[in-house]
Amino acid sequence: MAQGGLRSRKLVWGAAAAVLVGCSIWAVATMLGSSSGPITPGPSVTRRLTAEQYQNIIHDLFGSDIDLGGRIEPDLRVNGLLAVGASHVSITAAGMEQYDAMARAVAAQALDEYHRDMLLPCQPVSASDVDEECARAFLSKVGRLIYRRALTENQLEAYVTAAAEATRLTHSFHEGLALSLSGMLSSPSFLFREEVLEPDPQQPGLYRLDAYSRASQLSFFLWNSAPDSKLLSAAESGELHTRKGLARQVDRMMASPRLEAGIRAFFIDQLRFDEFETLAKDAALFPKFSAQVAEDAREQTLRTVIDVALTRNRDIREIYTTKKTFMTPALGAIYRVPVYKEGPNGSPDAWQPFEFPSSDSRGGILTQVAFTSLHSPAGRGSPTLRGKAVREIMLCQQVPAPPADVDFSSFEEGDAHAAATARERLNAHATVASCAGCHKIIDPIGFALEHFDGAGEYRLTEAGAPIDASGELDGITYEDAGGLGEAVYRNPAATSCLVDRLSARALGRTVTAGERNWVKDLKEAFADSGYRLPALMREIVMSETLYSASVPVDEPAQQVAAAAVESGVVEVQ
Amino acid sequence: MKGQQNPMSISGARALPWVLGLAVLALSVPADSAETRQFAISWFAQATYSNDKDCSGGVHPEIELLYLRYASALGAKPSQIEDWRHKLMQGENVQDLNELVSNRGRIDGLPVNPYTHPAAVMDLNMPGLDGKYAFGFNLDGQGAEDPNGFEDPQTGERGVDHQLYRALGCARAFRGSLEDRPTYWAWSWGQLKDSKPAWLITVSGEDLSKDGPVTVALDRALEYLRSNADGTPRFDMAYRIDPDPRSRNVFRGEIKDGVVTITEHGTLRLLQNPLVAPELELSSVHLRLTLNPDRSARGFLGGYQPWHPIYWGMAGVGFGGEQQVTGDIPGYYHLMKRYADADPDPVTGLNRAISVTYYIEAIPVFAAPVTDTERQLTRR
Repeated sequence: MAQGGLRSRKLVWGAAAAVLVGCSIWAVATMLGSSSGPITPGPSVTRRLTAEQYQNIIHDLFGSDIDLGGRIEPDLRVNGLLAVGASHVSITAAGMEQYDAMARAVAAQALDEYHRDMLLPCQPVSASDVDEECARAFLSKVGRLIYRRALTENQLEAYVTAAAEATRLTHSFHEGLALSLSGMLSSPSFLFREEVLEPDPQQPGLYRLDAYSRASQLSFFLWNSAPDSKLLSAAESGELHTRKGLARQVDRMMASPRLEAGIRAFFIDQLRFDEFETLAKDAALFPKFSAQVAEDAREQTLRTVIDVALTRNRDIREIYTTKKTFMTPALGAIYRVPVYKEGPNGSPDAWQPFEFPSSDSRGGILTQVAFTSLHSPAGRGSPTLRGKAVREIMLCQQVPAPPADVDFSSFEEGDAHAAATARERLNAHATVASCAGCHKIIDPIGFALEHFDGAGEYRLTEAGAPIDASGELDGITYEDAGGLGEAVYRNPAATSCLVDRLSARALGRTVTAGERNWVKDLKEAFADSGYRLPALMREIVMSETLYSASVPVDEPAQQVAAAAVESGVVEVQ
Repeated sequence: MKGQQNPMSISGARALPWVLGLAVLALSVPADSAETRQFAISWFAQATYSNDKDCSGGVHPEIELLYLRYASALGAKPSQIEDWRHKLMQGENVQDLNELVSNRGRIDGLPVNPYTHPAAVMDLNMPGLDGKYAFGFNLDGQGAEDPNGFEDPQTGERGVDHQLYRALGCARAFRGSLEDRPTYWAWSWGQLKDSKPAWLITVSGEDLSKDGPVTVALDRALEYLRSNADGTPRFDMAYRIDPDPRSRNVFRGEIKDGVVTITEHGTLRLLQNPLVAPELELSSVHLRLTLNPDRSARGFLGGYQPWHPIYWGMAGVGFGGEQQVTGDIPGYYHLMKRYADADPDPVTGLNRAISVTYYIEAIPVFAAPVTDTERQLTRR
């Protein structure tokens, strides 16, 4: 937590605002309009910043060369997304120590002699004395960006006072400022995205996010970072509460190069690429696979997605079939294609566009090293894990965990069931009644990827036996990985899943039953756009459902909120 | 081949530059070549076939014992020699001995660096190898009649010329086999592979699965040999061919039963690494390269090589390297001088080249010529 005087953080509840924390609250029966029918907004949520968001904000505010100096506690995946898990996690005592250490490290760098001139809006009277005016100017400016709303006078005064006291002790104006800055960076108001609600004047009985919360909702969804000064200004002027003003800001944000960060963040989350942090392969079995290859593979898929979704603004389903991708020389070795280095010997390997021939079974992200290696154990490939991943990640279908007493040795051992190939072993294994149900719906998907070993390298045989890569997905049969990509492309669950996950990411929670009409609208609009992802993102951020929330009934928080509305300013110490 | 590309069949976005590159490579790849396989050399060392019967004069003693011999020859008293011997056996410091032998050359009676002045170091007349077998080629055409010829243990060919093996084969650091790699060459290649651009082999022919004529190109890449995380060479990397004419070599050859040989024996030049030897130069080049089912290749490269550069490659390690790796470096100078068998100096009559055989292993890669722009950009 913040140190010294900053510990006495004051939470100010505005005259018509209430901070509503948690997602397990019931909605009031109020409704928004929809072409598919009525929409009842779901609850508001409070989300802990993800590790990536924390980093993005720090780099946006202070420069990309700032070293965070630590690691944030692991995020939690809920209903397929870390973005949803972010509303389910808190911070442990040990985690708070990490945040505090990181805040101090970041603040020290931000105010060191290399960075301070770019950040400070003024020059202190003396580098060793208190200058409250200059400190106030800096802290109010940076505090607004860190808290994602203007600081209250009480908050600002507390930080200015703390900085002054620290300056007197350290005889350094900048160290004094750094203390207050680190306090801001340890504050729950920074580390958590609180949603502040207010009655919606346009729709009596409904609640809406206040303008600042609206700005955060927009910014974290589109840029995966905090609002910039322009967006906060739009919030302060009331522009964001008008449809025209909202559209103006959405246009600006979607035209920004930072939109790529937002799309990347979604796919990193959706594709579970956080799992690359723990991915390892047996070097004796897969000598080409290294930490660099893993990093390149992850980046390759992200570049492929960005190319389809943003650069070329194509039908997003093409990510499952596109022959176009990007390569590094190290990846080229795994794909067995020539990727010649560009630039001087010894320079970092550059990314190069690459296109597989139409006859090649490689195509789409399912056939890329990132997917095939991530969903394989360290020493082999796995039709089961890959099939399960397609079901859960691409189609949003839940595959039950295996029975507790399942004997994996019957598959793990290469000679199990006297079989040469994984298909033969799995087919034998699937004769066990308790296993057959699930394997029947996941293995035929994974079989299509059997030409790719545990590291994603192409192979024609397994243990000397030819590989049969035919399979089936929801009634569509195919002969190889290319066919699987086509099958996912055509499967309506794939686009439905994308809308479900993207809307959940925007809300920070899974949509409620009352919001299903909204999602139905989104799916129709998505189809109408030819499955263009930017169009879907615009549809989401232009929807009032994203900025509306229900208020809990008959719960303590609701009673407090009601009291706040009735009595004006309520200050909670 | 579906789903992957054979190094011979390039396609995709790189296809166009590859095709253009082939045009530049017109000398090395005939226009009518239908199949090309490319390799990067991943192991390069003198071919050795050490066994219990190849050094009738005995394997050379450890370097410490040779130092005592040098010390004795340089006038150290027997009691001093015994004291040093005792200390050496106890692992004690012998600074005075080290100072003596690290300057054991003599010019006008004054001590000089023995590695830079090997001819000024007395010749201990260490024995050469006199075994029957050695890998290599019948370079001089004498065949079975060649009194210095070996018999190749793989092919059975008689009259194999490999005098470098005869010169160094009884020194501990140079003993080994294709599997048990000689210490010096393992060290040498370890230094080279990560500090010099890779050496490339391109074999082109109508159908490499059948017997017939081929073209063999040996080039240097711009990139170093790329390795896997476990240190093994990485298959299927792509290398740019250095256009420097000092490293471009093309030979006519043939493939028979999956073995590639050179039929026109010219001169080979490949830039190497100044830290070991600036250049590998072979005349009367011979090659026997077996193409393996796993797409790799292994075989032998032979010819006559100026022996002074071989010496200077060793000499660079100095006193520390002599103790740790090579053994008696000036002694090797005398041995190579003794066994050199080609290119006599027109004035002195001393042979300046020695017959050699190198054992090579190679991995499948992609290779293509660079553009002029890349050439300018590339740091050597």
